Amino acid sequence: MVDDLRKFLNHLLEKVNGLHCILITDRDGVPVVRSVTEKAPQLALRPNFISTFGMATEQASKLGLGRNKTIISMYSSYQVIQMNKLPLVITFIGSDNCNTGHILSLESQIEPFLKDLGTIVADAP
Amino acid sequence: MEKELDKVVEEIMSTPNVAGCLVADHQGLCLASKGTAHVDSAGLIVAISEQACKIEPNLKPPTVCLETDNKQCLIQRHGTITGAVFKQKGVA
Repeated sequence: MVDDLRKFLNHLLEKVNGLHCILITDRDGVPVVRSVTEKAPQLALRPNFISTFGMATEQASKLGLGRNKTIISMYSSYQVIQMNKLPLVITFIGSDNCNTGHILSLESQIEPFLKDLGTIVADAP
Repeated sequence: MEKELDKVVEEIMSTPNVAGCLVADHQGLCLASKGTAHVDSAGLIVAISEQACKIEPNLKPPTVCLETDNKQCLIQRHGTITGAVFKQKGVA
């Protein structure tokens, strides 16, 4: 299942110009599925970077606007889009001029796979 | 801040046979949408326009027309802004 999903994510990487990687991790940044090109910044693939989203989305949900769904972070050379699919987190890293809206539209294509993946990271009974 | 843009979108929507209208920026983020045009389609619309521009890179951005049996979607880019109009095909 994970291999098929990785192949599918690799296919998505080719579809969006400037998209460097798609990561599906748990909220601590531990990778479940990784699809990465050589252009992806290595430091941003590490759990200590990805795990910051867990705290950020929790705080963002306290702003009175409802549950936080997505955080888009624009840096000078990259953009990072992270989606709250707790217990999973989807992280997209692309170039600064990548089509952000196109990346956001990938959510609906990845969503069907998340139900099964969520059982992998679920807490042990 | 978006009053002027809303005025233009309203004007387009009042045109006969127009079912939806969408305006997006260069990063595929929706600036305005009305009618049958979905906010989530902004990224895809900009991506389609970008790919079409690559066919003839030296010419100005082409107008893309996507047609189904009874509807069409016209996409045009002007500078950093991409607009899309969703129309019902008129009765011949």
